[in-house]
Amino acid sequence: MKRSLLALAALLAFATLAVSGELSLDVKEHVLGNGMKILMVPKPGIPRVVCHVYFKVGSINERPGITGSAHVHEHLMFKGTRVMGVTDFDKDSEIDRRIDALMDRIYREKYWKTDGDAAKIADWQNEAEALAKAEKAYIIKDDLWNQYVKNGGTGLNASTGNENTGYYVTLPSNRVELQMLLESDRMMNAYFREFYSEKNVIMEERRLSENRPGSLFDEQVNAAFYAASPYHWDVIGWMDDLKKMTKQDLVEFHNRYYVPNNAVAVYVGDFDPAAIIAMAEKYFGRIPKGPDLEPIRDGEPPQYSEKRMYGEGPAPTSLAMMFHTPPEGNADAPALSVLASVIGSGGGGFGPRGGPGGGTGRLYKLLVRDKQLAINASASSRPQWYVGSFQFSATPRQDKGVQPEDLEKEIWAEVDRIKKDGLTDEEIQKAKNRGEAMFIRSLGSTMGLASRLGRAELNRGWRSVLTDIDDLKKVTNDDVKRVAAKYFVKDNSLTAVYRRKMGR
Amino acid sequence: MKKTLTTILAIAFVFASLAMGQATRPSELKYQPLQYDPPDPRAFRTECAGGLRAYIQEDHSLPIVNITVLVNYGSIYGQRDKAGLESLLGDQLIKGGTATREGSAIEDRIDFLGGSLSAFVGERTTTVSLSVLAKDLEEGLGLLFDVLRHPEFREEPLKLAKARSIEQLRQANDQPDRILSREYERLLYGDQPLTWQATKKTYEGLTAADLKAAHAKYFVPKNMILAAAGDFSQADLKAGINKAVAGWANHAVSFPALVKAFPAPAPGVYFIQKAANQGYISLGHLGIEDTNPDYFSVQVMNFILGGGGFTSRITTKVRSDEGLSYNQGSRFVFRWGLPGTFAGYVQTKSATVGYAISLIENEFDRIRREPVSDGEMETAVNYYLESFADGFQTPQATMANFAMLEMTGKPLNYYKTFRDKIKAVTKARVREAARKYVQPDKMVIMIVGDWEPCNKGGDKWAGPLDKLGKVHRITLPDPMTGLEAK
Repeated sequence: MKRSLLALAALLAFATLAVSGELSLDVKEHVLGNGMKILMVPKPGIPRVVCHVYFKVGSINERPGITGSAHVHEHLMFKGTRVMGVTDFDKDSEIDRRIDALMDRIYREKYWKTDGDAAKIADWQNEAEALAKAEKAYIIKDDLWNQYVKNGGTGLNASTGNENTGYYVTLPSNRVELQMLLESDRMMNAYFREFYSEKNVIMEERRLSENRPGSLFDEQVNAAFYAASPYHWDVIGWMDDLKKMTKQDLVEFHNRYYVPNNAVAVYVGDFDPAAIIAMAEKYFGRIPKGPDLEPIRDGEPPQYSEKRMYGEGPAPTSLAMMFHTPPEGNADAPALSVLASVIGSGGGGFGPRGGPGGGTGRLYKLLVRDKQLAINASASSRPQWYVGSFQFSATPRQDKGVQPEDLEKEIWAEVDRIKKDGLTDEEIQKAKNRGEAMFIRSLGSTMGLASRLGRAELNRGWRSVLTDIDDLKKVTNDDVKRVAAKYFVKDNSLTAVYRRKMGR
Repeated sequence: MKKTLTTILAIAFVFASLAMGQATRPSELKYQPLQYDPPDPRAFRTECAGGLRAYIQEDHSLPIVNITVLVNYGSIYGQRDKAGLESLLGDQLIKGGTATREGSAIEDRIDFLGGSLSAFVGERTTTVSLSVLAKDLEEGLGLLFDVLRHPEFREEPLKLAKARSIEQLRQANDQPDRILSREYERLLYGDQPLTWQATKKTYEGLTAADLKAAHAKYFVPKNMILAAAGDFSQADLKAGINKAVAGWANHAVSFPALVKAFPAPAPGVYFIQKAANQGYISLGHLGIEDTNPDYFSVQVMNFILGGGGFTSRITTKVRSDEGLSYNQGSRFVFRWGLPGTFAGYVQTKSATVGYAISLIENEFDRIRREPVSDGEMETAVNYYLESFADGFQTPQATMANFAMLEMTGKPLNYYKTFRDKIKAVTKARVREAARKYVQPDKMVIMIVGDWEPCNKGGDKWAGPLDKLGKVHRITLPDPMTGLEAK
């Protein structure tokens, strides 16, 4: 049985030289029996291998009440398993179960009732803390992290986004097996140890982002812009949900989404693909396939009216204009990308620390350089997997008394010009050249390449990184005029005006 | 025949799975030995016309060329009444145009080619970088050297840059982390070029003549080192560089002496008020230069103390055990020619500010008092040895590292001897480094946060903050004027 599986696997493994115009990308692909995909890009030379695993799960797979759980889960994946991070699993889990039972009582008293008994809560809390202290005798702190580090692991991290979650390490080329072992172990044997103290860490992470001036307003703007789709909440989640989230929420989340048929592993570096396939069969291949997963259900309904938001606080006075656009892969996405590149490039990034302040975008030239009404002016297109957005941003010149609303009028005037005349041939060609060159440049980074391929694979397949460039090259001025007329309309927009008001 | 083949295959598979048994724990894994020798800088070093030194590597894996020119120039050579000159120069080198091209024409052209051209003036090194498709190398090289050699600092773009820079000053005190890093250095280094801040007045006073003078003084071939990698022939690239540099006169550059007298701020708490729900904290003192013979011991020591992510003591204690913070640790910052800084750092909610500081202080004390464990030593040393090849992953970064070695006067065998120097670090030397370079009695504790709740503390550590040392309240200067805010 095992043999035939291997033979079948060998047949399935093939090299694919995908070509886009003159661009080509040599990605070797292999699918395990349980549905997990392995992508490989051999790059002989420096004896290092970038090893990434991506799961098709992010904050859009949450629901009200458990927002932030994709990210909390990612943190907990570093806190040990049934095998790793523990000296005596039976003794440890016995204490752990008692802590869970106490925390369940505390949560019910605290969050289910409006008049919970504070004294009881304090007693249980003390008891739970004593148990947590006792549990420490069986915990090997940050075992996975230590194993990677002492084996020369770099780029060690994980990240959670709206749509996907990635786990990263770069290892010496003779130690890739360690990654296969540890990553398959945390898929199969997740245990969520030290859940309650890690939630405190994450609440500190949320506070850190709250202290970035303007971030709380941005969170509200985002929530207002995305009314129905699960892009409505930020990846970090609402503070109330973080407080009340239970370990059981995470167990359910894990069992549903952390299955091999919902994952892709990517290897870029100095290795022999046959050896990677053999190891992947051995480690990831031992995990049973999970049930099929349904895509998210809610897109964004048409707004039918303009939305406006006003805020004030400790951040610079600014303007943001957002428009709903279609997701990645839609026929209108390439023209929107050209528009963002031509209107918006180089309009930000100015500051005392310099940075690549190339000011070639239309808005920069018009509002920053020629009319001198703004410090920055930029545009960006963000298609995403299920719903997209196009955004204009600008910061007015306060020394000249310019208001955000003045910039709004200027941007609308420019948008109207584009609806009528589109862009120049040279501008369109510039956007195409930039898109292609940036893509080629991105191939030079092994980590960047792994991340791009892995994420693309989970949505439209890794070849979409090439076909997107082909599609970009086909954009015409008629396409540009058409998408500008279709999406840049008031009823499809949210305009956010923010004014600085100094606090203490 | 067919049957026989299947049998042989089956046997082969049995052997294969025996040889590669499935491990359940990392300790069961066996690794093949791996030999890696770092590239030798001398193999890539060459000298172009005008004495322009260069590190060049052909790399034909992608049709791209990357070139970075390092210039020994930065804000540390600046003057107080001209603060902001260097950042303006970095911005205007390209935007200010050249003798024959307008800045926006340069930007438009490079953008049309899908390339990038950028300049950044740092503390003591300036980098001007070009990235273009290989087919555009000649044109790109022309633009790069035009900008380096003939910047014109035209009036209109300079006026705009000054106005934008002044507007940006309004944001100087917005972010607690930026306030902390700026004020921590100001406290430790005192009043000197490293800590001078531009104001509305200094920006307004700067002229094109100032920028031209600075450029004329520092931007000469012998004060630069070029690093290039990409899809070209080395001979062709060198010929192109030589053509671009031809006739560019050198002169001896005289550098202002670095200010090496530092204040000794009184140990204690330095508190900066900012409405935030966390305190942003750095505690420490001045550090060392990276030419210090104890550099490698300090690196290993700090890895164990708080520099090694989750394998380090401060992270384990403050984050993992206590759940007090997301970011925490300790760091030695190094700067060329001056001692850097040392700091333990953490951001935590106001009520646990005092507690988190006390935990970090305990770790400072412990690493001075007790020897580190064998396990900690093994992890730290192995990390540096096993991850060594990582620094050479991209040819361009490798060439730039070599150029930097030479510019800062480090030996060219730095990378060749790196691992031996790490291997020579012992537990005894780690402890010695801790005792010498972590000095709690000289430490300042700087906090940016909301005074009332930070001072009050919480269950595990009740305030007031003066339990940690005498409290000095610092009032931030108005960033527009540099004077105390009214």
